[in-house]
Amino acid sequence: MTELRSLSSQTYRAEDISAVQELYHSKGWTDGLPIVPPTDASVRACLEWAAMEPDELVGIEPVRELAITGEKLAINAVMAGCLPMHFPVVVTAWQAMLREEFLLHGISSSTGGCAVMLVLNGPIRLEIGASGTFNALGNSDRATAVIGRSIRLGLINLMDVRPGSIDRSTLGHPGKFSYCVAEDEEDSPWEPLSTVRGVPNGLSAVTVFAAMAPRQIMNEWTSDPREILETFAAEMRANQLHYSIYGGNYAIVIPKQLREQFHKAGWNKQNIAEFVYERARVRRGEWAQVGKTAVVRDRAEREFKALGSPDDLLVIAAGGPAGGFGAVIAPWMGSKTRAVTLPIGACIDCEPPKPEQTSPLN
Amino acid sequence: MTTQFVTAAELMARVLGYPDYPFVIIDHPISNADDDALHARASATLDQIRRLLLTG
Amino acid sequence: MTFDVLDPTNEKSAGETRLAPRLSSLDGKTIGIVTNEKEGTKGYFRHLDRLLRSELGVKDVVWCPKTNYSAPAGPEVLSQMKRWDAVVTGVGD
Repeated sequence: MTELRSLSSQTYRAEDISAVQELYHSKGWTDGLPIVPPTDASVRACLEWAAMEPDELVGIEPVRELAITGEKLAINAVMAGCLPMHFPVVVTAWQAMLREEFLLHGISSSTGGCAVMLVLNGPIRLEIGASGTFNALGNSDRATAVIGRSIRLGLINLMDVRPGSIDRSTLGHPGKFSYCVAEDEEDSPWEPLSTVRGVPNGLSAVTVFAAMAPRQIMNEWTSDPREILETFAAEMRANQLHYSIYGGNYAIVIPKQLREQFHKAGWNKQNIAEFVYERARVRRGEWAQVGKTAVVRDRAEREFKALGSPDDLLVIAAGGPAGGFGAVIAPWMGSKTRAVTLPIGACIDCEPPKPEQTSPLN
Repeated sequence: MTTQFVTAAELMARVLGYPDYPFVIIDHPISNADDDALHARASATLDQIRRLLLTG
Repeated sequence: MTFDVLDPTNEKSAGETRLAPRLSSLDGKTIGIVTNEKEGTKGYFRHLDRLLRSELGVKDVVWCPKTNYSAPAGPEVLSQMKRWDAVVTGVGD
């Protein structure tokens, strides 16, 4: 292919690897962990793999009108430890994050302290070695670790999302280091998450959503899908009362042992979503049981659903083969942010969205 | 701005191209302040608000 | 071993922004309050609304909620602003 245009980023010379680390740490360019030095060659390798020019516009963050280019994403991806084959996932994740409905600035600056969670689907998982089995929500494999990390480094460096700066998170959670899971499609009886959300089966895809930390549940004492889902729904109701009562994109992660119970009973993801939609609801008055009497006021009977519709539930098949565990991952804050799913590499020549005129007063 | 958001406001002002954008600061938090406290904050800031709207 | 490494930040600063012209007086003026509708803001803005009218001679105070408290004011707010002489808004929690 033709030679890429030159990179335009400023270059710094460091005398050795330690000097590189101190340079990046001292400038606030890291997440606190050592980084991989982003050299011209390593950044170009990512761009060439993704067939992107350095100045190609991936998208524009709409609040601050920040242009996100291929070159800058590649630099942060290399720093995170990404190889060229990981980079198309990073680019697609950012395209999804920059969609207006995702509310990237809002979710990453809020005191609420969510992280951006990525769910990977399709053949690319196998190509990059992304594993959706053991330790799926922890450090499961190199690919998900570095792809997840590249998102955080990009937020830090391209959007100033640093603690105490734009990032006003009171607590945050460990997913802010890296929060990326591959769905275990090979051992799941169900459609991939991306297919449920409209991407044609067989395409690789990324789903992004603004996610709190996982809340682990356990129910290995029944084979009845309803009883298993009652445990998930109870955890969602607890989140509604303890953290945020508002409905949005909740995710539930169902590992192999529990998945088998659903499969034997003939339950698919739609059945699961419809049941959880009905059961994950609280009344405002229940706030009084958890120390929030002050905000019940005269609206105690008002019902709040965890999900706006069954379609809001992201059902993810992932996790190791043994253990009757599952996880509930709550959204940042209701439905102010919406999960976004995009295919990878299916629209290489698409134009990024153009910025709208910001003020009719101009 | 409440006190805890002052640095965020200063950063946003800088990145949006107006590094010295003036604003009024009130005590944090407001979400659990009672009505008397909120009245006191509104009163205390009224003069600053007037000045910002008239002279910047 | 020497490394030539790249700047990972945006490196570009925003263009300049100017302050809107100031008012010569607040007498008889209309002031808009852009709120995010969070509970805690209502009390403060209620008192401010009253004080702007009673102490500073403001004629009218219009409350305008954002549709999404974590996003900037949308076109529906910006179009209403044309009818006001000044705006008060804030960030807090």
